[in-house]
Amino acid sequence: MYARIAGVVMLLAAVTACTKTTNEGNNVDTNRVTTGVIAMDPKDSRGPAPEVPGATKGGTLTILRLTKISHMDPQRVYSFAGLMNASLYARYLTTWKDDGKGNLTLVGDLAETPGKNVNGDCKVWEFKLKSGLKFEDGRPITSKEVAYGIARSFDPDLTGGPTYVQEWLADDPQYDTKWDFKANKNSLPPGLSTPDASTVRFEFKKARCDLPFAVSLPASAPLPPDKDTGVNLDNMPFSSGPYKIAKHTVGVELVFERNPHWDPATDPVRHAYPDKFVWSFGADAEAGANRVIADSGPDASALAWNGVPASLVSKVAGNADYWPRTLISPTPSANRLTINTQRVKDLAVRQALNYAIDRDGLIKTLGGATVAAPMTTLMPPSTLGFQSYDAYPAGKNGNIEEAKKLLAGKTPELVLAHGDSKTSTEIATQLKSNFEKAGFKITTKAVPQDSTLDETKKKDNPWDLYMDSWAADWPSGASILPVLFDGRTIRAEGNTNSSYFNDDALNKEFDRILQLDPVAQAPEWAKLDQRIMKEHAPAVPLYADVAYFLHGSKAGGLYVSSVFGYPAFTNAYVKS
Amino acid sequence: MSTTELASRSPGRLAWMRLRRNRVAMISAYTLIVFGMLAVGAPLIEMLYGIGPQQQFQHKLNSFGMPLGYAGGISGEHWFGLEPGLGRDIFIRMIYGMRTSLFIALAAAIVTTVIGVVLGIVAGYLGGKIDAVISWIIDLALAMPFLIFALAVVPTIALRFYGPREEVPTSFRVAVLILVFAVFGWTGTARLVRGQVISLREREFIEAARACGAGLGHILFRELLPNLWAPILVTFSLAVPSYVTGEAALSFLGIGITEPTPDFGAMIFRSLSYLQTDPAYVFFPGVTICALVLAFNLFGDGLRDALDPKSGA
Amino acid sequence: MLRFIVKRLLSAVLTLVAVSIVSFLMFFALPRDPVSGMCPKNCNPERLERVRQELGLRDPKHEQYLAYMKGIFTGRDLGSSQGGRCDAPCLGYSYVNSEAVTDTFSRVLPVTLSIVIPAAIIWLVLGVGLGMISALRKGTVLDRAAIGFALTGASMQLYFVGAVLQLVFIYTLKILPVPHYTPLLQNPLDWAGGLVLAWFALAFLFSAIYARLSRAQMLETLSEDFIRTARAKGLSKGRVYGRHALRAAITPIVTIAGLDVGGALGGTVITETTFGLQGLGRTAVDAVRSGDLPTIMATVLVSAAFIVVANIIVDLLYALIDPRVRLR
Repeated sequence: MYARIAGVVMLLAAVTACTKTTNEGNNVDTNRVTTGVIAMDPKDSRGPAPEVPGATKGGTLTILRLTKISHMDPQRVYSFAGLMNASLYARYLTTWKDDGKGNLTLVGDLAETPGKNVNGDCKVWEFKLKSGLKFEDGRPITSKEVAYGIARSFDPDLTGGPTYVQEWLADDPQYDTKWDFKANKNSLPPGLSTPDASTVRFEFKKARCDLPFAVSLPASAPLPPDKDTGVNLDNMPFSSGPYKIAKHTVGVELVFERNPHWDPATDPVRHAYPDKFVWSFGADAEAGANRVIADSGPDASALAWNGVPASLVSKVAGNADYWPRTLISPTPSANRLTINTQRVKDLAVRQALNYAIDRDGLIKTLGGATVAAPMTTLMPPSTLGFQSYDAYPAGKNGNIEEAKKLLAGKTPELVLAHGDSKTSTEIATQLKSNFEKAGFKITTKAVPQDSTLDETKKKDNPWDLYMDSWAADWPSGASILPVLFDGRTIRAEGNTNSSYFNDDALNKEFDRILQLDPVAQAPEWAKLDQRIMKEHAPAVPLYADVAYFLHGSKAGGLYVSSVFGYPAFTNAYVKS
Repeated sequence: MSTTELASRSPGRLAWMRLRRNRVAMISAYTLIVFGMLAVGAPLIEMLYGIGPQQQFQHKLNSFGMPLGYAGGISGEHWFGLEPGLGRDIFIRMIYGMRTSLFIALAAAIVTTVIGVVLGIVAGYLGGKIDAVISWIIDLALAMPFLIFALAVVPTIALRFYGPREEVPTSFRVAVLILVFAVFGWTGTARLVRGQVISLREREFIEAARACGAGLGHILFRELLPNLWAPILVTFSLAVPSYVTGEAALSFLGIGITEPTPDFGAMIFRSLSYLQTDPAYVFFPGVTICALVLAFNLFGDGLRDALDPKSGA
Repeated sequence: MLRFIVKRLLSAVLTLVAVSIVSFLMFFALPRDPVSGMCPKNCNPERLERVRQELGLRDPKHEQYLAYMKGIFTGRDLGSSQGGRCDAPCLGYSYVNSEAVTDTFSRVLPVTLSIVIPAAIIWLVLGVGLGMISALRKGTVLDRAAIGFALTGASMQLYFVGAVLQLVFIYTLKILPVPHYTPLLQNPLDWAGGLVLAWFALAFLFSAIYARLSRAQMLETLSEDFIRTARAKGLSKGRVYGRHALRAAITPIVTIAGLDVGGALGGTVITETTFGLQGLGRTAVDAVRSGDLPTIMATVLVSAAFIVVANIIVDLLYALIDPRVRLR
C-alpha cells in the first residue's frame, strides 16, 4: 500500500519538477477602443457578406458548454450564449457588422437600413424590410410577422427577454398591464403598426433615440402567428436565419442544419460556412478546455464555450502552440466595487477607496491578465466614444499614502457583502486585506451567491460595499451611465443604480444627452463618465472581464463579439 | 510466567498488550500524535516559521497569478510553495487547516457516538414502541440525501443567527458543521449498539440485575454499557477519519469552512483545478489528508483486532 | 411473510411522506428565489411579484405541498407559463430549467444508473474477492496486501483519486477520452470509455469496506460449528467454502451493498462533479443552488425512494439467503 502512495508521489513530482514558472505568455490588447457608426446608406446593409479569407464550406462546428442555453425563443433570449446562438436561426431588424477588433457598424438585417427617424425627434421610427426574406418553410417574411414577434414579447408567460421596446411602446414599465397580448392576438400593441407589407412603424410618446440599437437584439425576430407554440417555442424556435434546428435533446445536444430558404444575398453579416452547428452540453469549463486542448476527433473543430478556466491558463498561455487557436479579447462586462452612497456619505472615504485599490493583486487573485483587464473608468473601453482617464491614480498596487492622507487618521468601518462562491469569497478576502492596509476596517459578509444580486439591489440593503458588474446591451453610454446612476430610477428593489446615487445636476445632464442623435451622444457620455468619478466617486472601477477561449485546430473564423464579449459564429468555418 | 500473573490480567489489559504488539497500529498511533501536536502547536509553529496564514505574497506570482519558480514556488522561505491567486503560504495554511479539520472531526465523532450509544441502548433494551420509533427515525435519517440537506441548511443557519452587518465567526460555522454531522451521523452507531444490546439483554447478568430490582438507568448504563466499550471504541476511531473526509466533501460543494479560515477540505478543493498547472499545490494537502485518514483507519483496524481477537489476524 | 411485507411497505411510505415534508419545508427556509434569478437586468419588482403569484409561490404552504403531491398521482394543470397540463406522475415544472421535471429525470437518471451499477458490480466482485482471499490465506503476505490495498482505498478521497486518475490516463497517457456520457444503446464502447474512470474511482473507494467486512464475516463463519461439522462430514473444501460459508457470510454484505447502491443511486454528487457528468446528484445540487423547488422535491424523493426500496429488497434477500432469518 505504501508503494502505491510512493508511486503517486513520484508521478506528481515528475510532472511538477521540470517546469519553471516564469513571467511569459500571450498578452491581451486591453487598450483598444471601439469605434462605431450607424450606416444609413442601404448599400452597407445589403448582402452577401464579404468572403472570409481562407474559409471553406462544409463540416460540423461543435460548441462545448456546461449547461443548456437558458432560452432559445427569440423573444426570451437574453443570456450571452443565447444571444450568440440566436444569430444562427433568427434575424433581427438591425444587426452589428463587427470585425472582432472593436470596429462596429450598425446595419439593417431584415430592414434595409437601421431605421428611419421620421421626424428627427426620435419619436417615430420606420423600418423598411428587404425583399427575398424567407422563413424555414419558404414563406416570405413580411412586416406582419415582425410586428407579431414584437407583440408576443408582451406575453407575461414569455419571461426572460429584454423589455426596452415593450416599455417604450406602452410608456410604462408595467407594459403587460397596458396591453394584454393573450386577449388581443389579432391586433398590435399601441404605437406599433404595419402601414404596408414591408414597413414596420413605431410611434413613441417620448424620444427614444436608442431604438436602432434596441432592435439589434433577437427580440425583434419575426414569427408567423400559426407557428407560435407559446412557452414550447423555447426548445424549438422557428427559423428565419441561415440554420434550422434538426434535433434538440434538452440539456444534451442541439443540432442545427442548413435552412435552404435563407438567401445570403439578403444578409450583410452571416456566412453559414459549416453544414452543421452542434451544441454539446454537459462538459464543465475544465473538461471542455481539456477536450479542445487534446484536439482529437470532432473536438478538433470544437470551441470550448466556457472559456479557459484560470487554473488552466498558465498551461495554454505558456505554450505558443496553442496561441493560434486562442481567442483573447477584453469584453464590455465592466466590474466595479459599488459604494452604497446612502451609507458612505463622505466623499473623502469614497475617494480613499479609489486610491487604495490594488488592481494588480485583485486580477492575480482572479487568475491574471487573461481573466480580467484593469479599468479606471465607469464605461468599459469597448463603449462608443470611450476616453481613457484615471481620476484617482492608484498605480498598479494602490496608492496607500494618498488614501491615508484623505482619511486623515480616521478608521472607517465598512461592511463588504459578497457571494458565497469560491471566487467571490476570494475576491472579498483580497479586498479586505487590500483596504485594511490603507486604514479601513472591513467586515466581509457572505450572502448566498444566487441572492447576492437581488439583495444588493434592494434600496435598504445594509451593506456599504459590494461587487457589481454591468454589461450593456449595446455599446453606447446611454445603456450604461443613466442605467447605473440616474437617481430617479431608484425604487424599493430590483435597482440597477446599486450605488443609490442621486444628483439633480447629473439627472438633468442624462436627459440632455439622451435627446441627442445616437452618434452625437458618444463623446458626451465619455465626458460625463469622467465628471461622475471626479465629483462623486460612487464606485471603484475595477476591471473588465477578458474573454479567453480556445478552439480546435480545424475551427476557423471565430472571433469575440465586440458587442457582447463572447464568440460569434457569423464567420465561423471548418478547415477541410 | 506464573499462573497468578496470567489470571490477574483484565480483558482491557490484554487488549492493550495486543495493540502494543501490532506494529502497524503503533506506527499509525505515533503518526497521529505528530499530526495532533502540529495542529495544537500551530501558533508556535507560526512564530518559528515567521509567516502567518493570512499573509499574501502576490509579488511572487506571475501575471497569471501562478507562483514563480519551481514546483509551485517552493523555496527556503516557503517550504510547500504559494497558493496561486491569493499568494499565501501553503505550509502554514496546512498546519492551521489541520487544526480546523481535526477539531471538527473529533467533536463530531464524540457527539455522534454519544447520541448513537444512548439511543441505541434505549431502543435495544426497551424494544416495543420506543424501538419502533427510534428505528423508524434511523430509517428516515438514512433515506435523507445528506449532501443535499447540508447544502440547503448550512448557508441558511448563519443568516438566522447573525445580523446582516455582523461577520459570522468561524466558531459558529464550525458548530454548524458539527451539528449537521450530528443530525445525520448517529444512525450507524445507534444501529450497531441496538443490535448488540438485543443480544445482551436476555443474558443472565441482566436478568439478575432486573430480578434484584435495579433501576432502568442502572441497567442501561451500569450493566449494559460496560459490555459495549469495544465496539463503541472501534466505531469512534473509524468515525473520526470519516468526518475528516466528510468535512472535505462539504468544502468540495462550497459549504464547509469558508475563506479566509484555513481548512484542509477547502484547500484541497481549491487546489484540484490546478492539477495540471501547479501539481505541487494539489500534492501537499492531498497526500497529507490521505496519510492522516490512513493512519486513523489503520489504527482503528488495529484497535478492532486488539479488542476482538476473534476477528483479527 | 405477507404481513411482514405489508408492514415494511407501510413504514416505507411513511418514511417517504416524512422525507417529502422535510424537503418541502427545507425549500422555504432557503434564502433563494427562483423567480428573481430569471432577470439579471432591468427587473421590475411588480412584474416579478405577479410571476410569483402565478407560479403559486404565494399560496399557503400546505396547499402548495398538497397540490404537488397530488400531481404525482393524478397529474395537474400547471397553467400556460409552465407548459400546461402535466400528466401523472407529475413531478412539477422547473421554472429554472424551463422544462417538466420528468423530462429532466429521463435525461439525468440514465447517467447516474450508468455510473453506479457497473461501479457496484466492480466493487462487490473486487471487495468480496479480496476479503475471501485474505480470510482463506489469513496471516500471509497476501492477506496483508489485500487488506492494505483495501484500507488505502478507504482512506482516499474520491475527488483526489478522480483528479489523479484523470491526470494520468487522460492528460498524460492520453489513452482514455475526457469523461462523458453516451447512451449505452447508442454506442456501448463509447459509453464504457467515457465512464470507466468513474467506475474504478468509485469502486476503489467502496471495495475497501467490502473487503474488510467479507474477511471478518468469513473468518467468523469459518469458526462456527456448522462449518466444522460440514468439514468433519467429509465435504470438500471448495464445497464448504463456496456453498456454506460464503452463503452465511454474504448476508451482512448484502445489507451494506443494498444501502450503498441505494444511496449512490440517489446521487453521486461528488463523483459526478469530479468527472464532470450531469447526473441526478449534480442536478439536485444545482436545484438547491437556484431554489428550484420542483426539482429539489423530485430529486430528494427519488433518491429517498431508492434507499427505501433497497432496504426492503435487502430484508427480503436476507430471508432467501440465510435460512436462519425468519421474517416476522
